[in-house]
Amino acid sequence: MELFLSQILNGLAIGQVYALIALGFSLVFGVANIINFAQGALFMLGAFIAYSAIAWFGLPLIPAAIVSVVIVAILGLLLERIALRPLMGAPYIAPFLSTLAISTIIDQSAEIIWSPESQPFPASISSTTFFIGNAYITVTDLVIFGFGAAATIALTLFVSYTWTGRALRATAQDPAAAAQLGIRTDVMRQIAFGLAGALGALSGILVALYFQSVFPQMGIPFGLKGFAAALLGGLARIPGAVVGGLLLGIGETLASAYVGDSYRDAIAFSLLLLMLLVRPNGLLGGGKLNALGGSGAAAGAMPTTSLLASASSQLSATRAYYLPAWGFLVVGAAFALVPLLVSSTYVLQALIYGFIFALLAVSVSLVSGAAGILSIGHAAFFGVGAYAVAVLARPYGLSADVTLLAAVVLTALVALIAAIPLLKLSGHTAALGTLAIGQIGFLVFLNWVSVTRGPMGILNIPHPVLEVLGGLRFATTGQKYWLVLGLVVIAVVIAERYVSSPIGRTWRAIREDRLAAQASGLPVRRYILLAFAISGALAGLAGGLFAYVQQVVSPESFTVETSILILTMAVLGGLGNLSGAVLTGFALAILPEFLRGFEEWRMIIYGLLLLVALRVRPQGLLGAR
Amino acid sequence: MAGEGIIVDNVSRIFGGLRAVDGASLKLARGETVAIVGPNGAGKSTLVQLISGVDKADSGTIHVDGVRTDRLPPDRIARLGVGRSFQTSRVFPALSVWDSVLVGVQPRLIATASGRLLDPVTESLGALLGLPFWRRRVAAQEAAAETALKLFGDRLWPRRDQPALGLSYANRRRLEIARLLAAEPRYLLLDEPSAGMNPTETEELTQLILDLRRSHPHMGILVIEHKLSLVRRIADRVVVLNQGKVLIEDTPDHALDHPEVVEAYLGRPRAGSNFQDAHHG
Repeated sequence: MELFLSQILNGLAIGQVYALIALGFSLVFGVANIINFAQGALFMLGAFIAYSAIAWFGLPLIPAAIVSVVIVAILGLLLERIALRPLMGAPYIAPFLSTLAISTIIDQSAEIIWSPESQPFPASISSTTFFIGNAYITVTDLVIFGFGAAATIALTLFVSYTWTGRALRATAQDPAAAAQLGIRTDVMRQIAFGLAGALGALSGILVALYFQSVFPQMGIPFGLKGFAAALLGGLARIPGAVVGGLLLGIGETLASAYVGDSYRDAIAFSLLLLMLLVRPNGLLGGGKLNALGGSGAAAGAMPTTSLLASASSQLSATRAYYLPAWGFLVVGAAFALVPLLVSSTYVLQALIYGFIFALLAVSVSLVSGAAGILSIGHAAFFGVGAYAVAVLARPYGLSADVTLLAAVVLTALVALIAAIPLLKLSGHTAALGTLAIGQIGFLVFLNWVSVTRGPMGILNIPHPVLEVLGGLRFATTGQKYWLVLGLVVIAVVIAERYVSSPIGRTWRAIREDRLAAQASGLPVRRYILLAFAISGALAGLAGGLFAYVQQVVSPESFTVETSILILTMAVLGGLGNLSGAVLTGFALAILPEFLRGFEEWRMIIYGLLLLVALRVRPQGLLGAR
Repeated sequence: MAGEGIIVDNVSRIFGGLRAVDGASLKLARGETVAIVGPNGAGKSTLVQLISGVDKADSGTIHVDGVRTDRLPPDRIARLGVGRSFQTSRVFPALSVWDSVLVGVQPRLIATASGRLLDPVTESLGALLGLPFWRRRVAAQEAAAETALKLFGDRLWPRRDQPALGLSYANRRRLEIARLLAAEPRYLLLDEPSAGMNPTETEELTQLILDLRRSHPHMGILVIEHKLSLVRRIADRVVVLNQGKVLIEDTPDHALDHPEVVEAYLGRPRAGSNFQDAHHG
């Protein structure tokens, strides 16, 4: 019982921090109608700038925190200016993808500046412990809770009683009407982003104090938790964000105390998915989400918004270029000749990865482009396929026909189940749901040691043997090249047949207007689940082949970075356009081979490519379909 | 409550404290055209939302050809043969005109003889391999789509490869109706089909509905309409809604000239005999 109460007090402290991150999301969402994916990156920067101010320049904690908050607030302003303002009137998904690109660039830059390792935070608050009855609480917890609560109250007062606060709220309610009344809505957007930056930095510093460490990858998990808290509370409300943050904090602290600390995040993200499943509008209601094409849109409350349509509608007017299904057979046949001409294992190996990522990009393009659910979690499906093959081939010694088939079927099933919480969602909310799925996948690979062997991974996966072809063994790189190429071509042809069939047309109709599709008599849920199952099957095959090629499977191949990379490929190729996905997936996968010595710049280059593409060619290289 | 037709019985829908639909009852038989009129906020559109399952009634029952539908999802109701248009016409912006209409026929493409849906595996195999049974279905689907588009003369058919987004306002409304008709519904619910149309376009629409009545003698049509001159020409019966309640249900001439109707619309007794459209546009 003492433990229980202490955990609740402890949870309140960290929950207050989640509430602050959530407020950053809520402010920006309310005013600019955007889910700012980079909120987590701003949070991480807040922690690191404070770290540097203390560790490098010897500032005491308070001045360091002030410096950090000011700098990150300015970065928030810049973010709006650089990544979002040029996209006014762009397709619905462009601003979200733009913040995702910025987030990738910031995260990777942080790894270059501060190294990818976790570092101890050089300041701490007294660890004196108080007892309230039998429950204990540390001074750190109290200070964090106090600061968080003070910031929340200050923000509430600001938004409620100042002229600027009122103008912010007016802009949130109706930007056009606010502009008519002489409010500079663009300035309001900037203020919202600046405040979100300041809140992000403050929460980053508090988290650094709480866990006594900082690491460049902290942005995404904490950003996602902040988003979960915001969603729990109804997304666009200050009290909602606070309640959501506190509940999430208590929930995960209890979970880590009773289930195990390694499951802390997995439980937080599962809570998010559960929430999306049962109360997509948040615990405290909040109809605003509906109006923004968010969760309730699918339920029919308001028009759904086509992911690809835009105010200026130029996107849909552009042509899409794509190969018919048999075209992939021709391209595949041409590539089949390569091992006869090139003997370099190095080149063949690079091409093999190109094929695998082409297939992954197709998998995302199918579900994100055709069916309209942006996926930032496909690395999980990729991983399920890889682990299925690794486990069945290594400890059980099964042949490749069985293992690959199992990988395909199992991943299709996992994707199908994972899609269930997403059925009621659309747009940005669904995308964050997929991010949660991706994170859960990664945490399972990392922590389910008895099956996945945890961080060690599964080593020495045997060469594939196909029993159907009379025990044909693929041992050399050249042989594996043909195996991978053959299976990838077959899978892409099937995917293209789907997308070009009446099923593909139905997916696009659902993407364009879910309610109208349903009112036309189409079983919408069934078609979305089918899209996920097929996409999962493709990703599972890619994972299985990856396992055979690498001969090692470990969690670091299936991080959120991989998910973002695959999504970037699909977007750059033109969402829903499988030919485009094949082209960009292949090209971006072999690109690092030309960047030897600059590996750490890889994600930055992808992020920049995405950022530039969204401005100059949002429909993708070959045009969205 | 068995029997043919759409039967709405004592249905209510409450938003917060507002009774948008308040114990309304209504019947639509096959082969008849019924118009719902009433001032703004009378609950006309809400009623269509409830019949089509897009919104759910708080109390009361709705039956379609003997099947209770007030708890069914919209796609099930649509597959029972109820096609509806939206007040703000909803087309699939990025889809071509041709694809949009094919989407309307998709539920029939995947229906089995017993009225259920093909399982996804059969559907996938049919689509992927182009099996004969599937090709026959696709041919029938395309024929239905072509017929539906050609109902609108040269308005839609020559534009079939354009994205729906690029169509004029009136053509989008036509496309939505074409999509509904391609599915060969037993009941057609039109929510203000003439909204935003100019007099020529309204006349064309009137002719279209009159033609539909002739060409589809067994289809029941429910129209929400503000243009009373149009209502007088197409409707067999008129249901007047006011504040969520059915005020009057009668022939167009009786219903529209009824003093209470005139008062509900104009707020004062009828002055002259030239009472025409309550709203223009």
